[in-house]
Amino acid sequence: MDKRLRNALKGLADPDVEHRRRAMEPFVRATFGMFIRCLYRYLGNEVECEDVLEDVYADIWQDPDHLRNVSNERELLRTVYLYYMRKHLRQVYRRINRHLCLSQRDMMNLVAPDLGILEMMSQAELGQVLRRMLGRLKARERRAIELWMEGMSNRAIANELKTTVGAVKMLEFRTILKLKKMLSDYYCEA
Amino acid sequence: MKSVVLNQKSQKENRTMPEADREIQELLIDYAGALRDGCIPNFLKSLTREEADRIASSTEFWQATEVTRILNGVGFADKAVTPDVGLFISRVDAAIACRLKKARASAPAKRSTRARPTPKTDAALADRRAGSQNRIEKSI
Repeated sequence: MDKRLRNALKGLADPDVEHRRRAMEPFVRATFGMFIRCLYRYLGNEVECEDVLEDVYADIWQDPDHLRNVSNERELLRTVYLYYMRKHLRQVYRRINRHLCLSQRDMMNLVAPDLGILEMMSQAELGQVLRRMLGRLKARERRAIELWMEGMSNRAIANELKTTVGAVKMLEFRTILKLKKMLSDYYCEA
Repeated sequence: MKSVVLNQKSQKENRTMPEADREIQELLIDYAGALRDGCIPNFLKSLTREEADRIASSTEFWQATEVTRILNGVGFADKAVTPDVGLFISRVDAAIACRLKKARASAPAKRSTRARPTPKTDAALADRRAGSQNRIEKSI
C-alpha cells in the first residue's frame, strides 16, 4: 500500500474526534480518485458521485472501525464499498422509487449491487484485461463496443456499421454477454 | 368511419409512446446508455410494469449489467470532470462539522437544577434542613 495512504489510515484510528477530523484531509487526498472512479461505475454522474462521496467520508470519520485491519488498496475499496458506499448508493434514488414499476429489490440490485468477481478487480487491471478481451472479439462486435465507448448513439453506430438500430442493440447485448463470459473465465483461470 | 378514427388514434399513440414494451436486449442497452450519460432516473422512470417484470426474471440482464458497469468505469470514469480535491476537502470538513454540531446538541447537557434525592434517614433529613436554614440566614 502507498505510504501516504498507510499514514492516512493510521490517523483515522485515533479515538479523538478532532484528531480524526484533521486526519481526514490526507485520507481524502489519498483516496479521492479511487473512490470517485468506483462510484462513477454505478452512477455515471459526477454530481451524484460527489454528493455520495461527501457522506461516505463523513461516515468514515464518524465510524472508521471497519478500516482498522485494511492492508491493501483492493481491500480498502472493497471495505469502503460494502460498509459505507452501498448504504448511500441505496438512498440516491429512493425519492423517486415510490413512483417506479421496478421492485425495491431490483432497484437495489441495479444501483447498489453485491460486488461481483469482476468488480473486485482494480481499475487498471480491468482496463488491461478488457482491452485484451476486446481484441479476441469479432471485428464487428469489437467495433460496436468501441464506438459505444467513444460515446456514440446507437443510431450513429448503426449508420457506421450500415445496419439498423435494433440489430445494433442485439449485437451489443450479445457482445456484452460474450465479454462477461470471457472475463469470468479469465478471472477463474487467474 | 369509426374504425378509421380508432386506427388513426392508435397510430398516433404508437408514435408518441417512447418505445413501450421493450425486449430485454433493448432494456439493457437503454440502461447502459443511461449509465453512460448519467441519467439513470430517466431510465428507471421509463420502465413499464411489464418491462420491470421482464428485467426481474432475466438472468442475462443481471449478468450483463456487471459488464456494463465495468465498461462505464473503464471507458468514462477517467474522463469524468471531477472537482478540485482541495475544494472537496472543505465540503467534507463542513459535513463533519455539521455532524459534530448535531452530536453535541443531542448529547444530554448537565443540568444544575435537577431534583435532589429524597433523604432516606432521619440524620440526612436533619442535615438537609440545617443546610436550608443556613442558606436562608445568609440571604437575610
